[in-house]
Amino acid sequence: MTTQIQENGNQIIAKFSGRLDTNAAIQTAEDVKPLLEATKKDIILDCDALDYISSSGLRIFLKIRKEASANSSKVIVRNINDEISQVFMMTGFVSIFEIQ
Amino acid sequence: MVAAMMIAVIFCIQYFYGRASLRKEAEQRAQSELRRAELEINVVAVETETMAKMLTTLAERDVDNKDSIVNATRTLLHSLKNVNCACIACTEYLFPEEGRWFEIYSSRQPDGNIQTLQIGGADHDYFQTEWYRNGVIIDSCYWSEPYMDYSGAHTMVVTCTHPIRNKQGDVVAVAGMDVSLNYLQLMSEYLQIYKDSYYTIRSREGLEIVAGIDTVPGRKYYVYDEYIEKTGWKISIIIPEDVIFEGLNKVRYIVEVLMVIGLALLIFIVWHASRDNKRLMVTTAKNQRMENELHIARTIQMAMLPRVFPPFKDRPDLNLYGTVDPAKEVGGDLYDFYVRQNKLLFCVGDVSGKGVPAALVMAMTRTLFRNASANEEDTAAIVSGMNKALAEQNSQNMFLTFFLGILDCETGKLSYCNAGHNAPVLLRHQKKEAEKLHVVANLPLGIMDDFIFQAQEVQMYYDDVIFLYTDGLTEAEDKNLKQYGDERMLQHLALISDSRPRTIIENMRTKVNAFVDGAQQNDDLTMLAIRYQTPAVIMSNDIQQIPLLAQWVNSLDIPEKQNMAVNLALEEIVSNIIFYAYPDKKGQIYVEFAKKTENEIVKTEKDTEDKERLSAVNGQLSTRLMFTITDSGIPFDPTKHEEVDISLSAEERQIGGLGIHLVRQLMDEIHYRREEDKNVLTLIKKI
Repeated sequence: MTTQIQENGNQIIAKFSGRLDTNAAIQTAEDVKPLLEATKKDIILDCDALDYISSSGLRIFLKIRKEASANSSKVIVRNINDEISQVFMMTGFVSIFEIQ
Repeated sequence: MVAAMMIAVIFCIQYFYGRASLRKEAEQRAQSELRRAELEINVVAVETETMAKMLTTLAERDVDNKDSIVNATRTLLHSLKNVNCACIACTEYLFPEEGRWFEIYSSRQPDGNIQTLQIGGADHDYFQTEWYRNGVIIDSCYWSEPYMDYSGAHTMVVTCTHPIRNKQGDVVAVAGMDVSLNYLQLMSEYLQIYKDSYYTIRSREGLEIVAGIDTVPGRKYYVYDEYIEKTGWKISIIIPEDVIFEGLNKVRYIVEVLMVIGLALLIFIVWHASRDNKRLMVTTAKNQRMENELHIARTIQMAMLPRVFPPFKDRPDLNLYGTVDPAKEVGGDLYDFYVRQNKLLFCVGDVSGKGVPAALVMAMTRTLFRNASANEEDTAAIVSGMNKALAEQNSQNMFLTFFLGILDCETGKLSYCNAGHNAPVLLRHQKKEAEKLHVVANLPLGIMDDFIFQAQEVQMYYDDVIFLYTDGLTEAEDKNLKQYGDERMLQHLALISDSRPRTIIENMRTKVNAFVDGAQQNDDLTMLAIRYQTPAVIMSNDIQQIPLLAQWVNSLDIPEKQNMAVNLALEEIVSNIIFYAYPDKKGQIYVEFAKKTENEIVKTEKDTEDKERLSAVNGQLSTRLMFTITDSGIPFDPTKHEEVDISLSAEERQIGGLGIHLVRQLMDEIHYRREEDKNVLTLIKKI
């Protein structure tokens, strides 16, 4: 599981690759710290290469979303696969994230 | 003066007598070497003949069909990975649309694929070849003279042929298995024990099959011959004289020097000592030859038995363990097993008689088992096929008792056919008792070639064990010749509380050894135990083991569609246990999988009261995936956790509770119970 962060002017993009399971979430929580500090930016969570997410991963996403709210940033979730889509629906995340 | 004369005479007699006996011993040593080589070649010959017969059987199933001829050669190569080519040559115009010649040659290519070619034609008129001409008229296996195989392997070969007959009994084709001379040459080089010695093998007509090296002029050589009955070959061992006597010369010197130095008393002692020495050398030679044979036979036997355990690392539903504790003289016990299409095929056998002939029959039986079961699921049919082949071969009146079982890993159904062997013991997990499997009294294999075998069935349930053995166990004797016996075996088996196969076998071995108490073992002690168990994984409470869980889920027989849901639900439960169940302590988490397909009757309200309506109700097949997660941590019931409100906004959402929520969404049923000191959680998903 790897997380790559790229800043592009007003955008900050986090590319997730692999399986975000409970074990991997420990490292990912560290890796996404720059996103929690971004103010007035568009935070893009690029999930094109994300195969799987468990509740620990969802918690990280939720934390990013809450911090963004407080920092006037926008969070966009991109290219989640069908199975992760299902998970987002089951947990209601589909209504608190903008999904592209 | 007279004494000196006497000493001199005695000295001379001793010298020549001693030398002659040393020569005899050297001869015997060389001959035992020769026998060793002969036996090894015999094994190759037996295996090749068996394959030629199997090819015949495959072809004879549907001999009027051209495609079946082609497929017979391919099937043989598919099922026997160590065979590289197989060939069937048909009689003239057998299939008119193919023309005069029709010879199918299948060979394994370097990349592993099997290539099949029709190689008969005007440029390869096989009707003129020595192997075909003889193969067509001789009743059974025939070994050809060596020749250069231009159309097939492009190397020197000998061919073992067997006639293929139609239903009327006429010969319609010849099956051929090639053995390359190169292979035999390598084998003879491998067999070489004496420095500068070598083997040659010549065919019936005197053609060279294995070539020797050039002899050194002036050096003296000893030559010994043996005939290999099966193939008609003559195998010779050529050993330089000095090599044979090497080592023996030292002994000779010591004896001579002792004699020379000694006076009448010394000579007397030496005379005695050398006489004993001579006797000793003769008997040692005899023993050595016998031990050589036994050693070879033992090597053959052990090479045939699967000895890597656990054999199926990626199949958590099968736990097997088997051992053979060999007796001093080879007993011919065997066991074998393999997995094909989610079924475990296994067998145990006991060849009558001892020694090398028994080991050879055992080797043949194993090949037959693998081949006969490659495309056949009916245990009676497999055993019948093996029986025919063995009965036909049976010049030495050897027979073997045999048990064959096929366990369907998905349903737990065990089909079996017992040919005169000791009834295996079934250890039922539910009842915690040991009872013998009911077996029909079929004849052992190799006695009556048209005997009709009956197969049987029994249902195995999870954690049941089937325990197979030979009479080396039940007939093990103590010093008073009292036998261990069936009763005692059942009693001891029932007492073993751990149902793991390795534990059971080691336990039984200890018990038998204790009973036998040092008396000599006169038969192989063979045991094979198979436990049919629920697939399960054991993890420790370490978050880094989560990928292990994913790996295990992938190894199960779950439809692709449900894979992620199952994976996610299990991960949520297991992470919870890892984080909370064992505070400050190491603990284990045990996850088990079961799949149940049942007839589920769709009920409507009125049916339960109206009996007549019940008979009109539809039955539907439903499959449930069941996961049981057990841990011995602090009591925790996840079903009691509060429901999560997913309609809240981002700011209002709680961080916790998502995991359990997901499990509720992904699974159809969740049940929790506390059992003694364990949390047991069951998740069920209907598919």
